Amino acid sequence: MRAGGFPEEQVRARARTGAAEAFPPVESYGHEVFGQNASGEAQPADELDTARLVPPVFMPLRLEKLIDLGREPLQSDVDLTTAVGGFTSALPVFLSAFGSTRIGSSEVSVAASRQAGALGIPMVIGENVVPVTGYRREPDATTGMLARVRAYLDEAGPSLGGVVVQQSTEDADAEVWNLVYSDPAAEPLLASGRLGFELKVGQGAKPGLGGLTVLDRATAARVSEQFAIDDLWSGPGVLRSGSPGTFTDEILRQQIRFMRNNFPRARIWVKLHPGRDVAQAAACAWEAGADAVTVDGAEGGTGWAPRAFLDHVGLPLAECLRRIGTPSGCLLATGRMWEGGRAVKALALGATAVGLGRAALTAVDTDPEHGLRKLVECLAFEVQLLTSALGKYTPAALSGEDVWFPGRSGAADPAPRHRESLT
Amino acid sequence: MEHATSVVIEPAADRRPPPLAEHLNSDVTRAAMLIQQEVLGAARAFLRGEGFVEMLPPVIGPVTDPGARGSKQVDVDYYGHKYKVMSSGILYKQASLLTFEKLFYIAPNVRAEPVETCNTQRHLAEFHQIDVEIANGTRADAMGVAERLLTYVVRHALTAVPEQFELLERDPLAFAWLLSGPFGVLSHREAVDELHLLGHPQSPDAEIAWTGEELLSRQKDRPFFVTDYPKGSRGFYDRESTTEPGRLRNFDLLAPEGYGELVSGSERESDYATIVTRMRETGENPAKYRWYLDVMRQGVPRSAGFGMGLERLTRFLTGLDAVWQVNAYPKVPGEMAP
Repeated sequence: MRAGGFPEEQVRARARTGAAEAFPPVESYGHEVFGQNASGEAQPADELDTARLVPPVFMPLRLEKLIDLGREPLQSDVDLTTAVGGFTSALPVFLSAFGSTRIGSSEVSVAASRQAGALGIPMVIGENVVPVTGYRREPDATTGMLARVRAYLDEAGPSLGGVVVQQSTEDADAEVWNLVYSDPAAEPLLASGRLGFELKVGQGAKPGLGGLTVLDRATAARVSEQFAIDDLWSGPGVLRSGSPGTFTDEILRQQIRFMRNNFPRARIWVKLHPGRDVAQAAACAWEAGADAVTVDGAEGGTGWAPRAFLDHVGLPLAECLRRIGTPSGCLLATGRMWEGGRAVKALALGATAVGLGRAALTAVDTDPEHGLRKLVECLAFEVQLLTSALGKYTPAALSGEDVWFPGRSGAADPAPRHRESLT
Repeated sequence: MEHATSVVIEPAADRRPPPLAEHLNSDVTRAAMLIQQEVLGAARAFLRGEGFVEMLPPVIGPVTDPGARGSKQVDVDYYGHKYKVMSSGILYKQASLLTFEKLFYIAPNVRAEPVETCNTQRHLAEFHQIDVEIANGTRADAMGVAERLLTYVVRHALTAVPEQFELLERDPLAFAWLLSGPFGVLSHREAVDELHLLGHPQSPDAEIAWTGEELLSRQKDRPFFVTDYPKGSRGFYDRESTTEPGRLRNFDLLAPEGYGELVSGSERESDYATIVTRMRETGENPAKYRWYLDVMRQGVPRSAGFGMGLERLTRFLTGLDAVWQVNAYPKVPGEMAP
């Protein structure tokens, strides 16, 4: 697989060597001097990458931690355990949906599920996985939705993480949520309070459009009742387009209430595309009782999108976070997340956790057994380093004052943020 | 046929159905079937007496009622197309108003209910409804029919087969309040308040949970209606109030003594554009309801109606612990049964 426009080599390096990649090669220690951009990363791609984290000199929260511990605190004292959308996560990180693109629905997804379970982070299973690749298939199937749930549970501890199943307009025909909720195989998740359902309103890569996938002709014929099929190429592939579904504030509010009504034992998540009214949509979702709202920045997505959308459509993640301001519920951010700096900035700007999509796929593609675990371990190490440098010891303590945007005078608004209590 | 004069009735709450042969050969099952036979006969006599016409419901169709909380519809392959086994006949009842102004079905329904409902004692994956629809009817009309129907059926069964009630040790005095006067009515909001006063958690935006319903039902000595459920708790066909947006013109009828819901009904939405919008609000894809929307677009009369759960009604009459005891071939959610 290839993940263009994305720091693919750095992600692959992390998937191979883990937290060591948080630093320049150790062989260079004491022999070279480093300055800005010494990491060799590509030029900053968006406003969030351009922003800088700005530790203060005076750190009252570090003093609190010092008193608490009876010794000077270190980065290893940063507690990353985070309440994410009604679940307890080991880290302020979750595994985003891969959708039904070919790479996203293959054995790679099962390998990713296994590692997400072991890491104790929530996992989202994408829309269309059931309509396109099926739910159960044979009992020992190695792909499909149930195989992913099984792989996750095999590795997960008794209480951390959770599995969130997406449904969008086209999935409604397959009744994915009803299927999962009434399936005895889901009972271990329900019994431990670790099943969630995500209403997919939109996605970052193509705001305003539904899912787009290239399918072979035989598969396309099988799903032609549910999707628009466009024959654009001379090869064996055809374009399958799903409907994005129509939303108004009342439709969103009522759909969330309907989900809460029908699935009282499941957590309810909502995924929004980076629309210009993202703040109103997020507020509407929280008010209706959503346990989490995910905002997918325009730079995000494993989704394959038309060129015009990749280059010209949707708000960048930083602007989404700015418009939302102080969230009134659990806010999750996705969009080109792969390392600690970008993640900590998103957390400081209001997100409770960040989702790994393309980075997770790339990591598992690099090393199916350990790639995601190593990538996340490196990210977690960086989050601890950066958070402690800011004089804070939980991700929840991060705030807008910790981020500086070039060209803007002074610090951002240090407004308090919504936090779920850990129970 | 000879029957024992009394039978040992074990609490069924924590039990599952025995093997089918044992169940079919049980005096309890036999008594329940004889009472149910009276229920069916009385329901038909009553409804026909009020001018309703009995129609036979379809078994499968391209779509079915999506309004059942959390349950999965059962798919069948129909000449290569995915069809659904009816979870309720609501869509066909509305369309059939083009044939008759007052109609009813005795309809079999299948819902793959969430496994958790196997412990409510009130859910079967395969069950029957007495399904009633009234053209140009209001909610009050539908509630009136439901109340008179229930009263008629109970009175008839008690008179027709008193020996079966005796055999099941069901005291006819349990129905004295039901037979003596009008049923109570409280709004969903009042029901939520009452539950909160009882210290029971209940979301004001949602259907009353099964435990809450049972608790409310235990406080009462006669059947009672709960009206005005919030939007978001029911299917797209329940009409929204024009004077109180966010509230539906619907009702449930609950039996006392903890038996809970017997009937769900409402005034129906019949405006095409409103139905499409409400479909979106309930997360449905309007495209798959094409035949139904075509009919609605052409126009059907406004209506009100309800479905009365046959097994739940029979369970209430028999006083048995679990609803599976009153079905000859019970399918408890999540369990494979013949």
